[in-house]
Amino acid sequence: MECDVVVIGGGPAGSVTARFASEAGANVIMVDRRPEIGIPVLCGEGISQRIDNWGMLEGTDWIASKMDGAKIFSPDDTMVKLSKEMAGNETGYVVYRDRFDKELARQAGKAGAKLLLRSEATGLMKKGGKLTGIKVSQDGETFAIDADVIVAADGVESRVAQWAGMETKLKTHDLETCFQYTLADVDYESDYCEFYLGKNRAPGGYIWSFPKGNGMFNVGLGILASLSTPGMAKNLIEKFIDNHPIYRKGTPIRVLSGAVPVAKPVETVTDNLLLVGDAARHADPITGGGLTTSLEGGKIAGEVIGHAVDTQTFDKGTLLDYETRWKEAFGQKLLRNYVVKEIMLDFEDKTLNMLADSLKDYKFEEFSTLSLVKALVLKHPTLLVKLKPLMKLSEKQD
Amino acid sequence: MVKRKARVNEKLCLSCGGCVSVCPQDAIKLINLIAHVTPSKCIGCKICSNTCPVAAISLKEVK
Repeated sequence: MECDVVVIGGGPAGSVTARFASEAGANVIMVDRRPEIGIPVLCGEGISQRIDNWGMLEGTDWIASKMDGAKIFSPDDTMVKLSKEMAGNETGYVVYRDRFDKELARQAGKAGAKLLLRSEATGLMKKGGKLTGIKVSQDGETFAIDADVIVAADGVESRVAQWAGMETKLKTHDLETCFQYTLADVDYESDYCEFYLGKNRAPGGYIWSFPKGNGMFNVGLGILASLSTPGMAKNLIEKFIDNHPIYRKGTPIRVLSGAVPVAKPVETVTDNLLLVGDAARHADPITGGGLTTSLEGGKIAGEVIGHAVDTQTFDKGTLLDYETRWKEAFGQKLLRNYVVKEIMLDFEDKTLNMLADSLKDYKFEEFSTLSLVKALVLKHPTLLVKLKPLMKLSEKQD
Repeated sequence: MVKRKARVNEKLCLSCGGCVSVCPQDAIKLINLIAHVTPSKCIGCKICSNTCPVAAISLKEVK
């Protein structure tokens, strides 16, 4: 097989890259090792309502519910509330990730990309030191796909990036290991996502609860892998649910695990190859959220690839336009939030309690991590002194 | 000397790929969405087993 662009992985970043490269006139093949796009779900399923402005998804069947704000609970259960009423702007959705991913893949196909399921990339092909395509295994058959551009959209564990010799190996300090229950028939009305902090609840991470509507909730947790022991993520979320007066009465209808990069931005481009999505570490190091950055990054990648195909230049210099543009769009924000993550990891529970207490009546400007960080810098300038140089640079990116 | 190597309980693995992401030896990959360890590459460092959210990986003694 032959094409201009081969995309490895049919998650959100891969599908959006495939779509925009196709729309720019490139001939695109997207391979995915799974039998079904979007399955298994490996995600908390929360996303900013900003995606409404991008027109990437049609219909509404991928939306489970709308969120009106967030409640953050400190270790001693002091609550900080970020609400839509205060903010007066967009908040977020809880989505059905399987439907969400299928809709994005459908859009890629509609734009002209060819999708191959149950098709696993098994290696890169090279000629004279130059990448010329990939080897694929499908139903026991192995074949080659020749391509000028290879897109590694193969997730947090990206093997493609490894094969290409790119430095993306994650330290356990930069990975959140996650476990989540979806609970049904929970007797609780809420339009708020909830976050619970504390070293005993979730070391180096947090517990979340996202309302999916009709009494359904995603209740999960992420902990820093460097602080984890075998099975800790599953044990801690079960302990939380078992001790919660309401959630413990819910019926578990799904469990899932997950792994989220909370790393510094990496190099994402080499000759004939680029990384998108979790493979590119395009996830927010504070929240672990990666959907919006993956979609934004994928669109940029698709457009840059389209230009590369037009000019038939596929060297690192040409593809670097992608890296320049995603750094302009959200690179400073990821770096700033990595620094915030590092600072917050050093906080004792009593510091978190003190911070929550100082913010409990604060009127937030908006529903975002930026508004939280800004409030903290304002109230506690010495605590967050390391952040100052990064704040101005990153502010326009939120 | 007794060596210890990572071994996956396939029934417990939920295919998150966390172990693959952090293995310093590239000794783990997902085959049909289940983690598999290549014993010749494994150095028994326990990074994968500590990372696993469901305790699907343990270290077993080998001769």
